[in-house]
Amino acid sequence: MGAAAEVTQRTPGSPGGRFGRWLERRIPAARSVTLDQRRIFIFPSLPGLFFLLLLLLILLTAINYQNNMAYAVAFLLATLFIIAILHTYANLAGLSLHAVSATSAFPGQQSEFTLRLERGRRASHFGLRLAWPGGSDTQVSLVDRDSAELALFVPVGTRGWHHPGRLLLESSYPLGLLRCWTWVDLDLRALVYPQPLASSVLPGGSSERPEGATVPVSGSDDFHGFREYRRGDSLRQVYWKGLARGLALQTKHYAAFADHSAWLDWEAFPGIPVEQRLSHLCYWALQYERGGEDYGLRLPGTEIAPARGEAQLARVLTALALFRIGEQRQ
Amino acid sequence: MSVPFGAASLIPRNALVWIILSQFALLLPHLGRLPVWVVLVYLLTAVWRLLVYQGRVSFPGRWVRIALIGAGFAAVFFSYGNLLGLEPTVALLLTAFALKLLELIRRKDAYVVIFLGYFICVTAFLFTQDLLLVLYSLFTLLLVTTALVALHRPGEHRFRVDTLRLPALMLAQAFPLMLVLFFLFPRIGPLWTVPVQSHAARTGVSDFMKPGDVSSLSQSDEVAFRVRFAGDIPPRSELYWRGLVFSVLDAGTWRSLRYHELPAAELRAPRLEPSGPELSYSVLMLPTQQNWLYSLRYARSPQSGVLATPDFRLYSPVEVEDQLRYSVNSWPETPLETELSDWRRRTELALPPASNPRSRELALGIRAESPTDAAFVDAVLAYFNRENFVYTLQPTLLSAPEPMDQFLFETRRGFCEHYAFAFTLMMRAAGVPARVVAGYQGGEINPLNRTVIVHQFDAHAWAEVWLEGRGWVRVDPTAAVSPERIELGLEQAVAGEGSFLANSPLSPLRYRGVNWVNMLRLRYDAWTYRWQSWVVGFNSDQQYRLLQDLFGTVRARTFVIIVLASGALVLLPVAWLLLGRHRRRPPDPAERLYLAFCARLARRGLTRGRGEGPRDFCRRVAGTDPALGQWAEEFTAGFEELAYASSGANDGARAQLKGLRRLLQQMPGRAAGASRLVRG
Repeated sequence: MGAAAEVTQRTPGSPGGRFGRWLERRIPAARSVTLDQRRIFIFPSLPGLFFLLLLLLILLTAINYQNNMAYAVAFLLATLFIIAILHTYANLAGLSLHAVSATSAFPGQQSEFTLRLERGRRASHFGLRLAWPGGSDTQVSLVDRDSAELALFVPVGTRGWHHPGRLLLESSYPLGLLRCWTWVDLDLRALVYPQPLASSVLPGGSSERPEGATVPVSGSDDFHGFREYRRGDSLRQVYWKGLARGLALQTKHYAAFADHSAWLDWEAFPGIPVEQRLSHLCYWALQYERGGEDYGLRLPGTEIAPARGEAQLARVLTALALFRIGEQRQ
Repeated sequence: MSVPFGAASLIPRNALVWIILSQFALLLPHLGRLPVWVVLVYLLTAVWRLLVYQGRVSFPGRWVRIALIGAGFAAVFFSYGNLLGLEPTVALLLTAFALKLLELIRRKDAYVVIFLGYFICVTAFLFTQDLLLVLYSLFTLLLVTTALVALHRPGEHRFRVDTLRLPALMLAQAFPLMLVLFFLFPRIGPLWTVPVQSHAARTGVSDFMKPGDVSSLSQSDEVAFRVRFAGDIPPRSELYWRGLVFSVLDAGTWRSLRYHELPAAELRAPRLEPSGPELSYSVLMLPTQQNWLYSLRYARSPQSGVLATPDFRLYSPVEVEDQLRYSVNSWPETPLETELSDWRRRTELALPPASNPRSRELALGIRAESPTDAAFVDAVLAYFNRENFVYTLQPTLLSAPEPMDQFLFETRRGFCEHYAFAFTLMMRAAGVPARVVAGYQGGEINPLNRTVIVHQFDAHAWAEVWLEGRGWVRVDPTAAVSPERIELGLEQAVAGEGSFLANSPLSPLRYRGVNWVNMLRLRYDAWTYRWQSWVVGFNSDQQYRLLQDLFGTVRARTFVIIVLASGALVLLPVAWLLLGRHRRRPPDPAERLYLAFCARLARRGLTRGRGEGPRDFCRRVAGTDPALGQWAEEFTAGFEELAYASSGANDGARAQLKGLRRLLQQMPGRAAGASRLVRG
């Protein structure tokens, strides 16, 4: 079972190997990072290399035509390039990045990572590109505001904690001739639930359930009351009339009056490999939650009392996701 | 607001407008050299691109673009007749620059346009490096750089003038180091030959003289060269700038001897023993695309690359394509060629047989009445002076087969060329060796910087006759007809007929009478002189002298040190400006003490973690090393009181601080041996 403990998944593109270890020492993982000269790298970009070629061309023109003004332009642009190093660096320096949150996801889905970017002493930072290797990337400018919250989507891997690796923050403002970048580890991780896997019936463990009681699939047809809108509620259940009357956003709550509770039991799947068991349990948790029934979870060493609702689902799925997964990396 | 990256690689509208602006600004200096259709291409592409932005039309398809490029090539070829000269190359570049606007979609297209823009800015300098153009080009560089900056500000979809601010600042920061590099970068010779201006008019005095050609030079107010004398400036009537010597009269045209016509013995310039006062001066000549240089007689130049000819002129082995500065020493009183070789005498007496018979007859008649050659010269000058000859810039065209006969006996109206021609012809006819000298006469003295400005309209032709015992003597027949031309210059000489610069009504030279216009013109000319001698004409000689003046010896090491030092001098302030403000203000005394406390503990292997509060840290310290526990607790408590309790009473706070400092010193030591080990 020790193999399942391996949780750190390197996203392709993220620096690995010797450079990765060096980065690890130089920019250790932290929830907040302020960029300074230890953390910022700078090198001519591809257009910058072409710009240097252009300088060479102008210099050759100056030499061959013995033209002093062409010399002057070549030197002015060369010096501009050098000055641009400082300006490009200053566009990143002083910025601070804060980890905010990461949403949980099922394997193959994308997790939403939320970050906050805060400006330093400089009034404005332009054209900052943030990307997780393999994930989405986004460009942001901090002009006339102190901070910005960004959402980045990263596809997640298998069950457990998903570490998206190091985040790339880069910018080539103002001239685009130099690329200034950093790889920061914001110590953000997303929880990846097991992949739901249908099994015909929930075998065994149904001793607490009355025989023959079927789980209503689209149940929840009895109106129960209103509750405050929560993210993730179906739009069909939003109480739009109330909203139109000026009330707060509310969700119509339906409840199927199931007077029984189900136990999702680890022991109910004898002889089935661990991951598959967890997948089945995950499937049934989702089914019961959809059906509006109470359900509890029994795992070796863990027991969650039957209940229902979002909090219960999250609790159960988290327990499944973290089953036998060490807490090595925080 | 965050933008998906794909959209950000598109070009913000602000950048698009700046790109189009800089394109037109870059076109402007070339306008005079370009066919009209290039301008139309610029207008067409700019309008098209803006319509694309508004969504009214779409980008041209691939085949349309290829067709446009082909059409551009063809149009350049038909306009210039070839594609290889400098002008067609620049026209092609400019056309491509405009057409590129039609495929300006992604950021990388914009890089192409902008980098091309930088290069086009340089091409303008290949035609002229005038002070005004250079100032203007600084402005175009600013525009192009602004386009580059605007390109990297995603999401700016309105034209913003204030985008200019950052590139202006950056260029200003780049300027000082540019100057250092400019003056220190070693100047080396051309690495390979490059296309030069093919259509550039050869300006200045031409190498033949045919009366009847209307001289366009007298209508040009352009500057031919500027001279700065080391000592006093000689009187203007002595300023005869010799450029060409015409020894051969061939089919009604005077021309100089070709190189292959010279016998081997005559190829070398005789080196004369200078006598009389010496004039030392430097000439800053504007490009003429010709070989000959101008100097006062008997001239020698210490400069390599300036050669002397057997007829005592200076000349450059390569055509003067850029401005040229050369220094000259002249000894005007040195007799030239007191011994005349047979070949030389024969050459300087040759006349086409049986031409201008009446003129020859006249010459022989006057010679018969004169006792000596010198008296004969005076008699001919007196003849010009006595008869009703008129000095005019609007002479009657000479069309007869014997032009000098027509001039001397019928029209009698002409300018320097006519008189020099007629005079030399008469001398040769009477057996006196004579030749025509062409160049400039006089010049305007700029009182602001004591330079002599020689304009194209100062172009002049005169004669030299060879007299026994005196060598070649300068004779100016024009002076016999119009002494004002020599004493006061062309403007005064033709004041009566108002033909001075008649074709250029706006020339500032025409308004010399208006005082402030004149002052302004002279001041600009003084600036131009300085500009051209110090910046445009800066070469390895000047560089060497500058470095020697500044640092004594010139060695590679000095070079490197200067470049590095000046680089640091320039970059450090910029770095400080940009980054210095990020440094935190020094923490207050209590914080400083606490940091010292942490540093001391760190030496014992107890490092405070990032974000670990003082109390947590203290607890950890006490847990790890009980010997330190009490001390750390005391110190932490004292620090917290000092830092977080409102320190209203200043004296009390100071005393507390003192106590804390003392406490810091009383850090309990560890076992003596261990401490030794650490120190050891």
